[in-house]
Amino acid sequence: MDRYVLLVGLSGLLFSVGLLGIVIRRNLLVVMMCLEIMLNAVVLSFVTFASQNQNVSGAAMSFFIYVAASCEIALAMAIVVLLVKRRGSLDLSVHQVLKG
Amino acid sequence: MIEILIGFFGVLAVLCAVLVLVLRQPMRSSLALVGLMINLAAIYACLGAHVVAVFQVLIYVGAVMVFMVYTIMLLDERDKSYQQPFSKLLIPGLVAAALCTAALGCLVAGMETTTARAIDAGLFGFNRFSKVFMQNYWFHFELATVLLLVGILAAWTALKEARDEQG
Amino acid sequence: MNQLTLIPVLPFIGFLINGLLGARLPKQLVALVACGLPAVSFLLSFNLFQGLASEGGSLDVVLFSWAALDNLKLDVALSFDQLSAVMCLVVTGVGTLIHIYSVGYMAEDKSFVRFFAYLNLFLFFMLLLVLGKNLLVLFAGWEGVGLASYLLIGFWFEDAEKTAAGIKAFVVNRIGDTAFLLAAFLLVYCCGTLDFQEINTSFSAGGLSPTMTNAIALLLLLGACGKSAQLPLHVWLPDAMAGPTPVSALIHAATMVTAGVYLLSRLSGVFLQAPEIMTVVAWGGAITALVGASMGLVQSNLKKVLAYSTMSQIGYMFMACGLGAFNVAMFHLTTHAFFKACLFLGAGSVIHALHGEEDMRKMGALAKKIPLTFITFMLASLALCGIPPFAGFFSKDEILWSAWSGIGGSPVLWAVATLTAGLTAFYMFRAIFMTFFGADNVPERLRKGIHEAPPTMAVILVVLALASVVAGFIGLPGLWRDWLGVSAPFYDFLVPVLGHGGGADHHMELILMLVSVTIAFTGVAMAWLLYLRCPEMPLRVRMKATAAYRLINDGYYFDAFYTKVVRCADWVSEKILARHVETTIDTLTTNLPADLAQRASKLFTRLQSGNVSAYVFYVFAGLALFLWWGVIHV
Repeated sequence: MDRYVLLVGLSGLLFSVGLLGIVIRRNLLVVMMCLEIMLNAVVLSFVTFASQNQNVSGAAMSFFIYVAASCEIALAMAIVVLLVKRRGSLDLSVHQVLKG
Repeated sequence: MIEILIGFFGVLAVLCAVLVLVLRQPMRSSLALVGLMINLAAIYACLGAHVVAVFQVLIYVGAVMVFMVYTIMLLDERDKSYQQPFSKLLIPGLVAAALCTAALGCLVAGMETTTARAIDAGLFGFNRFSKVFMQNYWFHFELATVLLLVGILAAWTALKEARDEQG
Repeated sequence: MNQLTLIPVLPFIGFLINGLLGARLPKQLVALVACGLPAVSFLLSFNLFQGLASEGGSLDVVLFSWAALDNLKLDVALSFDQLSAVMCLVVTGVGTLIHIYSVGYMAEDKSFVRFFAYLNLFLFFMLLLVLGKNLLVLFAGWEGVGLASYLLIGFWFEDAEKTAAGIKAFVVNRIGDTAFLLAAFLLVYCCGTLDFQEINTSFSAGGLSPTMTNAIALLLLLGACGKSAQLPLHVWLPDAMAGPTPVSALIHAATMVTAGVYLLSRLSGVFLQAPEIMTVVAWGGAITALVGASMGLVQSNLKKVLAYSTMSQIGYMFMACGLGAFNVAMFHLTTHAFFKACLFLGAGSVIHALHGEEDMRKMGALAKKIPLTFITFMLASLALCGIPPFAGFFSKDEILWSAWSGIGGSPVLWAVATLTAGLTAFYMFRAIFMTFFGADNVPERLRKGIHEAPPTMAVILVVLALASVVAGFIGLPGLWRDWLGVSAPFYDFLVPVLGHGGGADHHMELILMLVSVTIAFTGVAMAWLLYLRCPEMPLRVRMKATAAYRLINDGYYFDAFYTKVVRCADWVSEKILARHVETTIDTLTTNLPADLAQRASKLFTRLQSGNVSAYVFYVFAGLALFLWWGVIHV
């Protein structure tokens, strides 16, 4: 098995695990963390392909993903704090207002 | 040799990811996440992408995860999500995940394999990487700083609104 | 806007002006507009008539195309041919005279303006009816005159009885209209057109199945019966006397009720191809004439006598149509318009003098007090009874001759018609003797106020009486034509449209003429006998023939029968349709689908739960399926 194929498979697996986490966890912060897992999986695939093809653009892209991730975490945490202040709990079901 | 290392760190990464899902307290989940990230950094290093490995540890673990740990510490309330960590969609979610993984596995298995070549750290060394990066992606770099500025402003505005609303 | 279009449009403009602005205009202006515009229409019709008489070609104007389908083209078009010319002149001429009369008659009414607006509206629709080039325009006018009739019958709408009379007229008319519409549908189906000329030519070319021709002719007859108050749809005409007298004169004597005769003459091509229906028309007309005359015998309301008389005379016209003598029917229509309008307006003058009293038993010995009214009334009655040389004599005589000798005519038919003529003379002179002669039964309080009609009304009475006297001479029967060596301008004028009249057996004609004159005089004499000589005789006759009297007095139980029918329909509608049919249909078509939609939507609302994890799960599941599809196909 080629190492690159393995790494691409690993990236896919990590992505699925992250997505699964968002579906099954009830704590808001853990959901944010699963989001981070997904981002990491994407970076992994970028780096794998960059390494495979000896192409710099993959690594450059991963740099920009890190920039985006930091930005996102700053805003996300601000919003999480506000949400918790408004609703009083980290549980996702508390934030559900529709009755459907 | 490299394959063994990569395989070892990959297994650890998967383990850490599963731990993130399974652990009850968010603090422990965040530690598992840190573990995942460090394992991934190791993988990058094995591949010869030293720049990316360093970025991973510095930016992701050093900034992002620290911020997340701060927030967890700030909002650590023992509410209902501690007793029941999993939502109602546990089973359907697992089924979907299994399907998804199986599909990805089939797709990946159909990828072509290239001949393994020796790891050449040259291209992804700091020296060469910076030169190439700044030559080709300088404009994107500047745009990224603008993005960061906007992000800071947004976060500050959101909190300011909240404070105005309260008081 | 050429002359032909102006003829109906001018009264319509009068309606708009009086209807919209009339309340703010002075009365004289309202009257001027209302009478002046129809007068101008009359002048225009006369102008066009002269052009037609000298040159002979009919005038057509297409206003606009109403519908242009693949196989049917419907235009709003007017046509002025000889038949329309006659009708147009009668309608605008008599109409204008009655408008002028109404100025005096309705002078003290509080809804003066509304009356003239409605009268002008009626004229507009009637002119549309007679000028229409195809059944579409005719039907628009047909419906419109029905509307105007309803509005005018129920003019004093605060009285519930009068409104009921208006509604009755409208509803019975509607029944006729349904038959008319069915006939129109069948005509479109068979001939693919509603244009009169095309229909007549395609029917005379033959080729249509007899059943279809008979069906169309029968339906048209029913429609005409509804509008012209013939059996069995005659029940509305006596009640229609609830309207003001000028309305009765204009609509229910001279013009609207003759629309049925016009329809039959217009579509003569259809009827000539359906001989069985022609027989029905002829016999129906004769029986209506007899029934109407018999009912006129027992009426005590002056206007109702005249109403039954109208029904009877139109029965004569229908009979003439049924015998193929359409031109004779038109001639009788014209003379009838003159003398019947004169009679109604004279009755109006009497009622006006007695401040609203219509019951003949409360009148009497008025001849010396209102001489002008009496003289005009007498002249018009003589014309109606068919006394020579007044107008009615020539036209009625020609009809009687057609009854004996025309297509489908027989001595029996002639006998019925002549008997009716006798009855006509009897009841008309009964009315005259009860109103103008005999004992003075006028109530005390009304005796002082008896005055002759004001000039506006009196002049019109004189004009119409003169017309009743001399109008006959333009349509002399064949016998007289040959004796005197003159032609009959009226019949000659109508030849291009209605063809030539029947043959001449002058010997027979002379005998029949003498017989009918004798019978008319006999009727007069009997009336004199029973009402002036021996006033107690009518009561004794009634005692002896109670059953017959009751039959006639109750209108041959037509009204009772119709009431029963309506009650039955009402019962069905309430007990069966409303309770069962409607609820079932409601459940099936409305409630069930709504229920279904509601349940389905409740199912779908579960998709939008507000639960973020669920939404992400949907994405996840979709992604999995997507990937599997990729796996399978790659």
